[in-house]
Amino acid sequence: MNMYGHELKSLRKSALIWTCSMIALASLFLAVYPGMASDAAGFKQLLSGYPEPVREMLGIDLDTVASLLGFYSMVFAFVTLCGAIQGMNLGVSILSKESRERTADFLLVKPVSRSSIVTAKLAAACTALVATDLVFFAAVSVVASAVAAGGYSGKTFLLINLTLLFIQLIFLALGLAVSVFFARLKNVLSISLGTVFGFYVLGALLASDAGDEAARYLSPFKYFDSFRIIRDAGYEWSYMLAGILIVAAGIAVSYGGYIRKDIHAG
Amino acid sequence: MNVIEMNRLTKHYGKSRGIADINLTVEEGEIFGFIGPNGAGKSTAIRTLLGLMRPTGGSATIFGQSCLEHPDIRRELGYLPSEVFYYDHMRVRELLNYSAGFYKKDCARRIRELADIMDLDLNKKIDDLSFGNKKKVGIVQGLLHEPKLIILDEPTSGLDPLMQQRFFDLLAEENRKGATVFFSSHILSEVQKMCSRVAFIKEGELIKLEKMSDLQADSYKRFTLEAASAIRAEDLQIEGVSKLENGQGANSVTFMFKGDINDMLRRISGIELRNISIEEPDLEEIFLHYYAKEDRAG
Repeated sequence: MNMYGHELKSLRKSALIWTCSMIALASLFLAVYPGMASDAAGFKQLLSGYPEPVREMLGIDLDTVASLLGFYSMVFAFVTLCGAIQGMNLGVSILSKESRERTADFLLVKPVSRSSIVTAKLAAACTALVATDLVFFAAVSVVASAVAAGGYSGKTFLLINLTLLFIQLIFLALGLAVSVFFARLKNVLSISLGTVFGFYVLGALLASDAGDEAARYLSPFKYFDSFRIIRDAGYEWSYMLAGILIVAAGIAVSYGGYIRKDIHAG
Repeated sequence: MNVIEMNRLTKHYGKSRGIADINLTVEEGEIFGFIGPNGAGKSTAIRTLLGLMRPTGGSATIFGQSCLEHPDIRRELGYLPSEVFYYDHMRVRELLNYSAGFYKKDCARRIRELADIMDLDLNKKIDDLSFGNKKKVGIVQGLLHEPKLIILDEPTSGLDPLMQQRFFDLLAEENRKGATVFFSSHILSEVQKMCSRVAFIKEGELIKLEKMSDLQADSYKRFTLEAASAIRAEDLQIEGVSKLENGQGANSVTFMFKGDINDMLRRISGIELRNISIEEPDLEEIFLHYYAKEDRAG
């Protein structure tokens, strides 16, 4: 509990900043919705002017884009990008913090096992992510119901927003696994930004080549397609399973790596 | 009971030399010195003992258990690293309370006592502390749970002489209460003052392990002679003489001697002396002497 509390406290500030930025991003975009909805036909026509591969790349589905959920899906793609960076950054930094800040000689000689250190840090990171998502969800729900003229499915809205957590967890696990292979990791941000944008671009390129379902496994950003969630009111379970496997593997690697790791002086 | 045991402890990393085949035991209640020049492997041995690193071969235990397999055994351990780094954004008090939280006992009183002795301001931010003050935080942090084994890696660097003295008094007090103390240093005078036994480490290998009293008594005397006329080196070259060299002034020599003191005095009686001193060498000299000899042999 001691360690969990300590770690959580040190994550407070960054979680707050991420939450506020994501809320601001989604709310600003949603604020435009009433204006767009009054001229839905014009908006659709504008979008249909784009070549189809570009629309696929941006994740725009012409049939649903004029509905609140469809419109929200467009901005939500960027929210998940933020969430992925947050998760990855958290993952890369949290276990490597002791060697980066040279506090390993403090924490790792305490009467606690390495695995309980990983557990405490992992729990703190998950708590920070869940808290971010809860506050984000509460805020966007308020904004969405304020701007929605015709009403929308609350369940689908929840299903879409829940995928933010899944993406965050996948990148958290990836970050953790990557971090244990470095003796001392200094450039956390470049690793997390590089990885996340790498997968994002890969996902966008894959999407422009629609129909290749197997290729979608290559980018976690393509596991949860908002437009399909709107259509099916549910997830695609094979991709969900892939996500769960990544999280499980990433966490297993981090425990194994951290327990075996040599902590060098200065 | 052996509080520390290293059994053929070996640690290599990559190409660089670590430590090889270190055997030593430290008994309960001892103050044990671990001496060697920088880079000899003192920290590597300590870090492997504490479970920060995995040995390549052999084993290291405290209270009979390996820190890697039984991390809980570190409940009785207090450790002061050679360089102290803490979470910069915290206040001293928060850090110490966090540290105390790992030991399941109330340490508040002891924290206050130690902070008083070491003259440490608990309300400062770690970030704002000087190197010496961070070291003090390290000391308080290492002792606040009244550990039965205190391991210190180069403990006095960064402390002014007054604080060093207080710190050594503190260690002596803990030792009187039953704590075993193990500390590494390359400053021999501080080891000389405190330790009951010392181990010398060089290039990753343990080259000598002796009682402090044996080390000083049995071994060497340092002679300084000042004569009326030039001293011929041959007159003094008997077995046991080493480091024979000219002292300050034209007719003076100094050397180390190990052997029957009477033989040496008979030799000296043939020389017309102005002055003579025969001293116990301090550990520093024994140490340098020892290393120099090893170098020649190797």
